[in-house]
Amino acid sequence: MRFTWKIGGEAGFGIMTTGLLLSKIASRCGYQVFDYIEYPSLIRGGHNAYEVAAGDDPISCLHDQIDILVCLNSETFNLHQARLADDALVVFDPEQFKPLLKNHWQGVAVPMGKMVSEGRGQPVMRNTVALGASIALMGGEMALVETILRDQFNKKGEAVIQFNIGFARQGYQHVKDHASGYGRSYLAAPQSAAQLVLSGNEAFALGAVVGDCRCYVAYPMTPASSVLTVLAAWQAQTGMVVRHAEDELAAINTAIGAGFAGARSAVGTSGGGFALMVETISLAGVSETPVVIFLAQRPGPATGMPTWTEQGDLLFAVHAGHGEFPKIVLAPGDVAEMVQLTAQAFNLADIYQLPVIVMSEMYLSESHATLSQTELDRIISDYQVKRGKTITKVDGSSYQRYKISPDGISERLIPGTADFYFQANSYEHKEDGHTSEAAADRVAQVDKRMRKLTTYLSQDYQLPTLYGDWQKAKTVLVGWGGIKGILLEVMRRLPDVAVMHFHHLYPLAADRLKPLLTQDKRYVLIENNATGQFGKLLLQEAGLAVGEKILRYDGRPLTVGEIMKKLSQSV
Amino acid sequence: MVSIQDFSGYAPTWCPGCGNWGIGMAIKSALVQIGLPPAQVAVVFGIGCSGNMNDFLNVSAVHTLHGRAIPTAVGIKLANHRRPVLVVAGDGDCYGEGGNHLIHACRGNHDLAVIVHDNGVYGLTTGQVAPTASKGTRSKSTPAGIIETPINPLTLALTQGASFIAQAFAGDMAQTIAVIKRAMSHRGLALVNILQPCVTFNKINTYQYYRERVYRLADNDDKTDWDKAMSVIKTMDKERFPVGVIYEVERLSYHRQLPQLSGALPLWQRRRFTDFKPLEKEFR
Repeated sequence: MRFTWKIGGEAGFGIMTTGLLLSKIASRCGYQVFDYIEYPSLIRGGHNAYEVAAGDDPISCLHDQIDILVCLNSETFNLHQARLADDALVVFDPEQFKPLLKNHWQGVAVPMGKMVSEGRGQPVMRNTVALGASIALMGGEMALVETILRDQFNKKGEAVIQFNIGFARQGYQHVKDHASGYGRSYLAAPQSAAQLVLSGNEAFALGAVVGDCRCYVAYPMTPASSVLTVLAAWQAQTGMVVRHAEDELAAINTAIGAGFAGARSAVGTSGGGFALMVETISLAGVSETPVVIFLAQRPGPATGMPTWTEQGDLLFAVHAGHGEFPKIVLAPGDVAEMVQLTAQAFNLADIYQLPVIVMSEMYLSESHATLSQTELDRIISDYQVKRGKTITKVDGSSYQRYKISPDGISERLIPGTADFYFQANSYEHKEDGHTSEAAADRVAQVDKRMRKLTTYLSQDYQLPTLYGDWQKAKTVLVGWGGIKGILLEVMRRLPDVAVMHFHHLYPLAADRLKPLLTQDKRYVLIENNATGQFGKLLLQEAGLAVGEKILRYDGRPLTVGEIMKKLSQSV
Repeated sequence: MVSIQDFSGYAPTWCPGCGNWGIGMAIKSALVQIGLPPAQVAVVFGIGCSGNMNDFLNVSAVHTLHGRAIPTAVGIKLANHRRPVLVVAGDGDCYGEGGNHLIHACRGNHDLAVIVHDNGVYGLTTGQVAPTASKGTRSKSTPAGIIETPINPLTLALTQGASFIAQAFAGDMAQTIAVIKRAMSHRGLALVNILQPCVTFNKINTYQYYRERVYRLADNDDKTDWDKAMSVIKTMDKERFPVGVIYEVERLSYHRQLPQLSGALPLWQRRRFTDFKPLEKEFR
């Protein structure tokens, strides 16, 4: 069974909280969940919406149609009616407006405003009424709502809990009394499922903790900010130092300082803040200081569309930094990969002593999805902290920080642990770290640094993951990062389609990619940007061209429907 | 026992007579007197003639980017708060390109000794004005004279919450050593502005100029009076340059207010956190 519930209303009226509670209730009932928020870059006013797609088969993106639409204002109905299922339920407040119902849509009038004002609640509590009404329409027990409200308001005390439960119960009872005939049975037979509901940003935060990150420094920027707030909330437990710095320049340089001194460190930002960090990415490259950079993309240029999604910064990230130096760029496809690859990013940064960029986009960063406890436990238990050639003791009587080595990696002494001093130098340098402009030193150090990528490609690089029946597939959808779930759903619906999903984006192993991308199949590049940046990267790094492209750059995520339509058009 | 030799790296490439020689020797002497071995002292160098000290001073060092020495030092202190961390930067570096970081380091009272070489010019780029240059100073980048009035780093630091403010003159080795030692023993942000003649590009603020205009502050004066500190600094408006400790108060430094750094081991050395289950709970 699959269903979609959506709520909309004015910004500032608690829609985000209610939406997440519904995602969690569906998850607690055993469903897989994927949700998506739409909101303007405003705190008050403007339209907010929260959509929850749930199902008992794999759910990796939104569904085409909305089954239950909760309208806290008329705008919600106007904006989203085009996607209502033929038999959709429309919840509305009759004091606000009356929806013009078409098809077999069924209106469910719930006097949310009246209930809240009579109960002396705040306007924001209309959401709580709506939650109760929604669960009743889905055939769930009131206990589901009570439990989740109790968890939600646990810290605020029993009075607040009871006050909220009261409003939810009114919404629930109103549906039972007046609209039970329309009810669905989505939540009628809850299954127990040990799973978590988390956003891409929360998955990054969890991955950073698993990866033994000890210092996270950031300046808030949508859509990366919740990493900072989540890690800050955890720091009393984790012991991580989480610092809100004066700007992104300070953020990344503080991370470099902490990394130099031996603590695994990370920063997080979006495109504009990342632009400010670029000079220091170059410093990390030449000084060979490990750092993990989380880049949650939003549509640019400049301030762009802060609360919407895009994959527009890939080539910027790959080429970030003046001069030539190695870096690694990763892009997880979902929350499980985000936890796993983030933790791995800290190992790669330590092993190869370079900047590792973990890319996300608003669509992955702010959407929530289910992650099974079993899978998370496996990711965590499989993970081992690997610090490569990080040392605290020196064998012998001398130490050279940038010693030439066959794999390009030199021993990195944690300063102060042995009787050897050295400098991490932003200037070109000799093996011992002293500044040098000699041609021979320059060439030796450039070659040494670049060799790290060769070593990485042979040791830790991962080829794209192939989904579907590769042998049978006639069409291959090629994509990267957080749009993975959309591509997988297209694959599930169409015959003879496979998906090639890239998560290790730079560097690329040309020799091993060639056999995958040169078979007698129809390859279609799908990206959430205007210029097909990954296609350009494939061409640049591997000499491989993907002819067909499906691109979207209006700030909205790609949809399954549009991809299927475009695939059929261009044959 | 450590010696000057232990801290001496490459022979400096500074111009003969440059104030950097005096500052470099004063830093080494202060480190010798404090007695920590070179590997146990962390120094972050900015970019400029001052930052070039990176190759001349043996310590655990980062030669960072122009303007970014302070935030880098903040990171080192957070990861290993048990060791002294110094910043060696120039006036353009610390008051121009990285001015924002100085302001916020003062607010945060990060436990750093920030030693700024103040010579009024950009030496390494061959003689443009620094933010500390007097109004009207002619230079290659300001042929008609600089329009801006100079920044006063001492009032800036005082008003933004620095807990230690001092000034020294590169031509007075003994006092410069004493001031640097006191800055290093201070627990919080210590700004030491060092008046430093640039013999190549600054023909106004010469050794002679400063010798005629500096005056020593008594070591045992009350240094905790903010208004008095401000009036001392303001004598610079009349080209009278106080040298010595101007202001010093006890205020908890940034890292001492972090409960996660209260344990015995520094951040980098602690055991890995592995109690993930309580964190996972909020996602159910």
